Amino acid sequence: MSDKGVWNQDWIEVQQKYWENLTEMGRKAMGMQTPTKSPWENAMNHWWQTISPGAPDPAREFMEKILEQGKTFFRMADQFAQNLQGTAPTTDWPEALNKVLGDLQKTFTDGAQGMGTESLHKMMAFWEMPLDNWQRMVSSLSLMPGDLLRNMPHGMDFERYLSAPGLGYTREGEAQQKEILRLMMEYQRELQEYTQFFSNLGSLAVERMQQKTSQLSEDGQTIESARALYDLWIVSCEEVYGEQVMTPQYAEIHGNLVNTLMAFKKHMSQMVDENLGAFNMPTRSEIHTLQDRLQETRRENKQLRRELDELREKVDKLTTTRLSAASEKKAAPRKKAAVKKKAANNQTAASKTKARPAS
Amino acid sequence: MIPIDIRADKLAQEMYDYGQKLGRGVENLLNAEKIDTGVTPRVEIYREDKLTLYRYQASGQVIQNRTPLLIVYALVNRPYMADLQENRSTIKNLLDAGQDVYLIDWGYPDGADRCLTLDDYINGYIDRCVDVILKRHKQTQINLLGICQGGTFSLCYSAMHPTKVKNLITMVTPVDFKTPDNMLSNWVQHMDIDLLVDTLGNIPGELLNWTFLSLKPFSLTGQKYVNMVDVLEDADKVKNFLRMEKWIFDSPDQAGETFRQFIKGFYQQNGLIEGTIKIGNRSVDLKNINIPVLNIYAEQDHLVPPDASKALRNLVGTKDYTELSFPGGHIGIYVSGKAQAQVPPAIGTWLDERS
Repeated sequence: MSDKGVWNQDWIEVQQKYWENLTEMGRKAMGMQTPTKSPWENAMNHWWQTISPGAPDPAREFMEKILEQGKTFFRMADQFAQNLQGTAPTTDWPEALNKVLGDLQKTFTDGAQGMGTESLHKMMAFWEMPLDNWQRMVSSLSLMPGDLLRNMPHGMDFERYLSAPGLGYTREGEAQQKEILRLMMEYQRELQEYTQFFSNLGSLAVERMQQKTSQLSEDGQTIESARALYDLWIVSCEEVYGEQVMTPQYAEIHGNLVNTLMAFKKHMSQMVDENLGAFNMPTRSEIHTLQDRLQETRRENKQLRRELDELREKVDKLTTTRLSAASEKKAAPRKKAAVKKKAANNQTAASKTKARPAS
Repeated sequence: MIPIDIRADKLAQEMYDYGQKLGRGVENLLNAEKIDTGVTPRVEIYREDKLTLYRYQASGQVIQNRTPLLIVYALVNRPYMADLQENRSTIKNLLDAGQDVYLIDWGYPDGADRCLTLDDYINGYIDRCVDVILKRHKQTQINLLGICQGGTFSLCYSAMHPTKVKNLITMVTPVDFKTPDNMLSNWVQHMDIDLLVDTLGNIPGELLNWTFLSLKPFSLTGQKYVNMVDVLEDADKVKNFLRMEKWIFDSPDQAGETFRQFIKGFYQQNGLIEGTIKIGNRSVDLKNINIPVLNIYAEQDHLVPPDASKALRNLVGTKDYTELSFPGGHIGIYVSGKAQAQVPPAIGTWLDERS
């Protein structure tokens, strides 16, 4: 392995060793157990820890994304390589392969408590991407972190509490509080449906990958790199995902997820408005009314301006036409007079010529 | 034969190579500096609210088509996609093909624009831009090129103002919003759009980003970054990647009322097919479009499936209808080398033949 770049192998190895030793010392001092991470994952982490402080924020974020994906596919390759190592080319590999894929599937069907190694679970976390994207989006729309809405209390007792009527002078406020909790719970229920849907898809994606590897075997092809294995996994995931999110069932899950979140946010916004009103401050609904009226006025203004411009143009045209007609009319008698004058002059000149004696 | 045979030494080498590429890539990322977009020189012609109308300047001594060409881009994402970089610019290639190019930049709507409607956009902004151009050129008709949602707007405009448009070009434009392969359409069918708009006001760009990334989540939020490692060592390619990345996440918020009307009328009710679209106080009847139409679609478009665009053929009144298919995706049709070589010259020729 030769290298001419700045991140040469010796330097990386020295850095890796240094970090490993330091981390190990720290771990012993804290009485912690040795983590189960694979050596290459440690190496990648160490390498990144050494260079990341020098990177600006956007570049760091970007590199972390790449690094995380890199870990995913090396993790996957490692898992397959370990299980398939030493299997005979013609006999026992299908069994070994089915075992890895079966373990993968168990991580979906049994949840976090299921069978499988830590690295399998991490690999399957890949299927949390759509959910993760949703959480990020929800967080960006709210002052509250997205996770807050994920961990609301629920259960029969809580629902009974919510269904109890409010009492006394503060009953309206109490009812509002209960309503927002109810809406939060509804959202949480839909979020669980959404999560469950993706969990099922993960299992289907493993099945699809199994089919694809069998096909490769039939075609006499072999995957020899971590990257090719990762690409096959992506294709399997996208295929299954593409099929399932086109179903009416998903349309409903997706719609319910968005609708329940919006219902919750709308109610919250109404409560905020009521508090703003109590402080004699402009509310969002008042601002909306003002915006609507203002836009209507602007619309009318623009329409009137256009009509005015058109009328002005017509008037200008008419004026120009009349003026030119008038000037033509004026010019016409002058022309006649000029012709008469010219004729008279000619006559005078002729008589003068006639009168002049021949020289 | 074993279908997966990853040897330990090969895996170690692959990991080493990956680390090396990443290491060198850090330097290119650090040196990437500011990412520029929009390369062709242009002048501002008209401004109204957040909208700016630009005219692009041709570089060479090309004989220009006397009828100006107005590009109407979508409200979603930014129009610099059509002029991304020197060697990937649909606009530059249209200029080279002899077209006098104008473009509407919608800007970034904010809360004050929440109540803008489709009528404001189509019969208001677009129509006033058209008038400005016609007045400048002392012409009575323009050529119109609508991209994606801008294509849908252009169809509506041409149907409602048939005397002002000489030729119409639609690019990756949805017409039938309920084809069986339309993922976006399936997702919005159960959404309560009134609740969404009443709650959020304007629709945040983040919500749109999430929606578009969700079309292919594993490729767009995972694999894309792994593929990136292969080009990290090339500073120019890193810049190209970052430029595209900037565009993808540069999503303006959507004016709430327009979003409400567009999703309900077009996506949920499939109004162009059903003939139920009404904008302001005018009905949109595509049979009113009797001018020449060039409909360009991408064969691997995951946002606007080909069938969603091709439905236009049977809806317009014109007999001069041409389809042009491009073997690529929704984005590739503006930026791929193949698209640059094929699409703008084809538009130029088609327009010149009808000028």
